Amino acid sequence: MSYLSAEDVSVAFAGLKALSSVNLKITPGHISGLIGPNGAGKTTLVNVLTGFQAPTSGAVTLDGQPLTNLKPHQVRRRGIARTFQGGRLFRDLPVIDNLEVTGVGLGMSRRAAIAEAEAMLDWIGIAPLKNRIAGTLPYTDERRVAIGRALMGRPAYILLDEPAAGMSAPEASDLSDLVRRIAKSLGIGVLIIEHNVGLVLGLCDHIVVLDSGAVIEEGDPAAIRDSEKVRHAYMGTAADTVRANLEVMA
Amino acid sequence: MSTSSPVIDPILSAEAIAARKPGPFSLAGKSIVTPILLTLILLAIAIVTVMIGSKPFNQVIIDLFVRVILVVGLYVFIGNSGVMSFGQIGFTCLGAYVAAWLTINPMMKKMSLPGLPDFILKAKMEYWQAALLAALFAGVAALFFGRVLMRLSGIAASIATFAMLAMINTIYSNWDRVTGATSSVVGIPIVRSIWPYFTVAAIVIFIAWLHAISRAGLALRAARDEPTAAAASGIDIPKERLVAFVISGAIMGVGGALTAHSIGVVTPDNFYLSLTFVTLSMLVVGGMGSLTGSVLGVVILSALIQGLRFLEAGVPVGGSMLALPKGLQEIALGIIMIVILALRPSGLFGNRELTLNRNRSE
Repeated sequence: MSYLSAEDVSVAFAGLKALSSVNLKITPGHISGLIGPNGAGKTTLVNVLTGFQAPTSGAVTLDGQPLTNLKPHQVRRRGIARTFQGGRLFRDLPVIDNLEVTGVGLGMSRRAAIAEAEAMLDWIGIAPLKNRIAGTLPYTDERRVAIGRALMGRPAYILLDEPAAGMSAPEASDLSDLVRRIAKSLGIGVLIIEHNVGLVLGLCDHIVVLDSGAVIEEGDPAAIRDSEKVRHAYMGTAADTVRANLEVMA
Repeated sequence: MSTSSPVIDPILSAEAIAARKPGPFSLAGKSIVTPILLTLILLAIAIVTVMIGSKPFNQVIIDLFVRVILVVGLYVFIGNSGVMSFGQIGFTCLGAYVAAWLTINPMMKKMSLPGLPDFILKAKMEYWQAALLAALFAGVAALFFGRVLMRLSGIAASIATFAMLAMINTIYSNWDRVTGATSSVVGIPIVRSIWPYFTVAAIVIFIAWLHAISRAGLALRAARDEPTAAAASGIDIPKERLVAFVISGAIMGVGGALTAHSIGVVTPDNFYLSLTFVTLSMLVVGGMGSLTGSVLGVVILSALIQGLRFLEAGVPVGGSMLALPKGLQEIALGIIMIVILALRPSGLFGNRELTLNRNRSE
């Protein structure tokens, strides 16, 4: 069975431990969630999984093959895509070109990349935005374009870094539907990092909770909802938000 | 669901994708109209020059076409990658000396450049053959330097390219028996017809356009705007930069060969700080991200420089000559550049290209 995994991954920045012995496994067609308070190491873990950050120790493997020494573009070409906090679109390029760039980066001809980009925009439901300059898009659309860009060439895995940040409840619900479609109809393995715990609990098959660089809990949404450790981790940071989210889900 | 064979979504089927393929010349706002219009502008300038029939003016326009070649060469790398290189004129130096080595009469070469290998000493090529080999030589040199330089980014890359320019200049200024050191290498056949210069300028414009619309050009511009996201999109940034650096190097090399044939003399200092400054100014004033800007930047600044030279030489007013002080040309050029950049920081054309269809930009 196919999988992407972090095995005993530790990262230290100048002696400060950002991640300590983290294990995580993502499989195609399933949605995994990564939650934790600010500074827990969530983005660092995504950076390690996508080649942007070399682990101090431990390994990232794809179907058992090590990825640890690959550069970000090589990781992407192995079928592991990601989005960034804040979108990081090519702001001066039209939406269609934003997707086309990934097609080209994966070795398609420009014409093939444009054709796939158009099909992808249709599939996501943002075809009318095709010729808009990416820098002029509202926040929500920017996120969907970023997801479209990551889906080009059909990766086996996609890692979404705070895709719902700043979204209203209906917008977040639309996003959840999109993420479900990505996993269920495209068969892609999804890892979603979110502060919106309610969204993660409602969406994911499996959730990993990070705090201060270490995994403090993992399991299905019900287990996470009932975990004392998780509640404790969020105390003093965003406890009220979390409790409110948990109650909404209950 | 089986995890090893994901369900293929019908919307992304091969048939659906094939039906959407766009026309070959309508890629991403980079229309073929742009190089055609730019070439027509240069052609008009060439025809007017031939009709005027003035020898000094002919030389001015030859200089202009050579500058177009050099600045388009700069655009291919700097414009698309966003990495400011101060070193490209080094490749112009390499190209100019290749032209000198291959076209000077063998008798003269034996006297002035005795250290050249035997097969070069005996060579006596046509200028266009030498120009092609100059492009090849400069392109190979760019590949050699670029493999190291393209791993750098930002100011480190710029300083390293400057070091490369200084290195080439130092070698050529001291390798007495091969380059004649700092003394002039004379006897290079002069090509006085305007058409070879026009033809190469037009070819170079089309090469730059083809690169800009290619996968490599798109990938490089994406990496220029958002390098992190480009890497996450599968783009090998050092490789794409290297491709542009080599194409740029070859263009700079052929520009060097034509410089040599336009004046008949070369010294290493012809291809150093002053030429670097002038050509970069033209690129920046025109608009680094635009092929149109790089061509028209040359035309506009060359016209200004000529106007100032004319005033420096003196204009008869009534019975006396009114001349601007010597050196005012450089000062005025500096002021004009500052004003243009203050008003339009991304140059006269920014990222826009000349097309028949308005609002085309990338």
